[in-house]
Amino acid sequence: MFDGLKDKLNSFREDVEETAEEAADADESADDADESTASADADESTASADDADAESVAVDDDDSDDSAAAAAAETDAETPSSDESDSDDADDSDDSSSGPGTLKRAAAFATGKVIIEEDDLEDPLWELEMALLESDVEMSVAEQILDTVEETMIGETRKQVETTGELVERALHDALVDVISVGQFDFDERIAEADKPITIVFTGVNGVGKTTSIAKLSEYLADRGYSSVMANGDTYRAGANEQLQQHAENLDRKIITHEQGGDPAAVIYDGVEYAEANDVDVVLGDTAGRLHTSDDLMSQLEKIDRVVDPDMTLFVDEAVAGQDAVMRAQEFNDAAAIDGTILTKADVDASGGAAISIAYVTGKPILFLGTGQGYDHIEPFEPEELVDQLLGADQ
Amino acid sequence: MVLDDLGSSLRGTLDDLRGKSRLEEDDIQEVVKQIQRSLLEADVEVDLVMELSDSIKGRALDEEPPGGTSARDHVLKIVYEELVELVGDSTELPLESQTILLAGLQGSGKTTTAAKMAWWFAKKGLRPAIIQTDTFRPGAYDQAKQMAGNAEVDFYGDPDADDPVQIARDGLEATEQAEVHIVDTAGRHALEEELIAEIEEIDSVVDPDTRLLVLDAAIGQGAKEQAQRFEEAIGVEGVAITKLDGTAKGGGALTAVNETDSSIAFLGTGETVQDIERFEPNSFISRLLGMGDLKQLSERVERAMEETGAEDDDWNPESILEGSFTLKDMQKQMEAMNNMGPLDQVMDMIPGMGGGMMDQLPDDAMDVTQERMREFNVIMDSMTDGELEEPRSISASQVERIARGSGTNTERVNELLEQHKMMDRTLNQFQGMGDGDMERMMKKMQDGEGGLGGLGGGGGPGGMM
Repeated sequence: MFDGLKDKLNSFREDVEETAEEAADADESADDADESTASADADESTASADDADAESVAVDDDDSDDSAAAAAAETDAETPSSDESDSDDADDSDDSSSGPGTLKRAAAFATGKVIIEEDDLEDPLWELEMALLESDVEMSVAEQILDTVEETMIGETRKQVETTGELVERALHDALVDVISVGQFDFDERIAEADKPITIVFTGVNGVGKTTSIAKLSEYLADRGYSSVMANGDTYRAGANEQLQQHAENLDRKIITHEQGGDPAAVIYDGVEYAEANDVDVVLGDTAGRLHTSDDLMSQLEKIDRVVDPDMTLFVDEAVAGQDAVMRAQEFNDAAAIDGTILTKADVDASGGAAISIAYVTGKPILFLGTGQGYDHIEPFEPEELVDQLLGADQ
Repeated sequence: MVLDDLGSSLRGTLDDLRGKSRLEEDDIQEVVKQIQRSLLEADVEVDLVMELSDSIKGRALDEEPPGGTSARDHVLKIVYEELVELVGDSTELPLESQTILLAGLQGSGKTTTAAKMAWWFAKKGLRPAIIQTDTFRPGAYDQAKQMAGNAEVDFYGDPDADDPVQIARDGLEATEQAEVHIVDTAGRHALEEELIAEIEEIDSVVDPDTRLLVLDAAIGQGAKEQAQRFEEAIGVEGVAITKLDGTAKGGGALTAVNETDSSIAFLGTGETVQDIERFEPNSFISRLLGMGDLKQLSERVERAMEETGAEDDDWNPESILEGSFTLKDMQKQMEAMNNMGPLDQVMDMIPGMGGGMMDQLPDDAMDVTQERMREFNVIMDSMTDGELEEPRSISASQVERIARGSGTNTERVNELLEQHKMMDRTLNQFQGMGDGDMERMMKKMQDGEGGLGGLGGGGGPGGMM
């Protein structure tokens, strides 16, 4: 998971460095012109400006001719002044350019620093946005991340010994960690500390893997010494009872079921009563998959939440989910406030942007990843680790 | 619904092009960005989005809009054509004996889709059977069996067997009586080598006529890899999109269709077996772009222009653009509108006017407008040629005479003259735009840039048209 995003982030970092370096070259040539009155110097600076121009064209892919144009335009704007080797003209062109003024530029240049400007970031940020979208990060979330990165970076001076890449990495790292590590808590600790029995209700749309996740979590809990009972609140879907029953049999757990068409809240409630009577630690309450657009089913979910009043509600969604992940996470969170998310099918998808989207929009942490069809294929989610991995901690 | 939002956001951007006859690179860039955004928000795969938008951009810049086409309609037409090209036709499913194999990720909705399709075929008068080969997921057999019961179709499965290939073989034999065999398989994903090998084996035993990839409408960029892998393994002839009753746009289906060079077969829109639709590409894209039926509209405009122009040799629409818009021209314009057919039908075909927009109009808006146009026409019939050519010279006494002659009142006649003045003003703004002709004027009108805009009168559909 997340390999795809990692590659793209690396290429983003390279892009930023290139663009910033080009800008730096152009700046230098302009500064040269500033200082020089001799025509020899001016010729030199013209040459270097041309170099920068050529470089920027060569470096950019054909799909981002904008950046070539922008870079070229920027260089061009400053080139005429050096051509004429007229310091007045050079000043004019500096004055008319946006961003940090001549003084700050000069100061930065003198101290061997480069200022990162909005223009330098425009194309790399576009690339980054594409990279995030390509990794299934939802668009508004991606934009938020971009804003954070941009805010952090613009106007930032960097020492020439420091690469822009390092700055980008820091900005990106912070932005991603901010989003993805929201509200993290220690699941095991919370289970350990809570009064037993603990009731956990699982929600989510159809086919994301709620039932399978319950089976896996039951095994996860057993590994840590907790007993659990499954309650099948999915009284709607054909085969739902049989499915959970089979899991319970395989794992040797107690299961509470009612007939198909029964009241889901009542089933889970029975599960809680059973747990209280039999000293079971955790009640795992399944619910029928439902689309967040179904008012009836969503109000049924609200009712389950009200009647059962679970200690924890876990939203289950799949790592392969795209842009819609945000919408449904929000709707489910609204209907029955969630405490965290289980992201299933993480072995299918290499990008995993859904994790970022869901964490961002719900403000609740991703707690587990489902990584296969076996009962032990469930892993606690480690945000820091993930972000380090994303950004290539080896660098 | 699939890509529903593309329509509205795209329309928004395209609206910015209103009144432009030439496209600047900047305009196109903005439109292309919007298209990219909409497609990406709909989960269409990034490379495919870039491909599509590059091609749209290239064509918008290179291709000269045909005479009489506004910049906006030109772009809309290109987008339409590119999407049609991508989506293609609906997957061909002849109503005869056949075998269909379903494949897809865990939880994408294969079992439900199998039952829905069986129901669909049964409604078409064929006898379908579902063969359930998922031996892995607990409860799969029970689910399939029950859903087959709901669809009232034949069913074969074996809860005690553990070899899907054998079940498929036995199932085909056991359901020999059925005409359409729908083989359901266990969910699997592209990276599970063993399971991919298994479905290859099932495929060779079943030898299906059609292999459908079942895709959750919410699937993101991963659709590409999944589609690729299933295409390599068994070949994909069609895509069934499920869970379209949610908010997901189903752009993954476009990705998959593109990857597998196939088409969309079915749309799943609910939990009961009846909630299935055959995919209709034309209505889908037309509605998607909110363009009603542009093709039919342009045909109608052309025909109407021919009819209108043919009757009157000495009427030259070009003269309008030279600064002399007379009541005669206005009459012709209205006639042309009339020749296009009932207004509400025409409105439906106008880009951006179909659907929601029409709903916002009062029910009788069309009738009122049409009534008004008819009345104006009667008034103009009571004018002399001189008055029609020089409406500004019409005095108060002439107004009174015209009102009497046409059986209306002076108020109405003055409204007509006001209307003409307004249109004349609007037209003056259009002058100097180059090779304009009547047809383009028509387009302008449809784009709500004046023209007959005020015909609806106070508070009516005025400005809407």
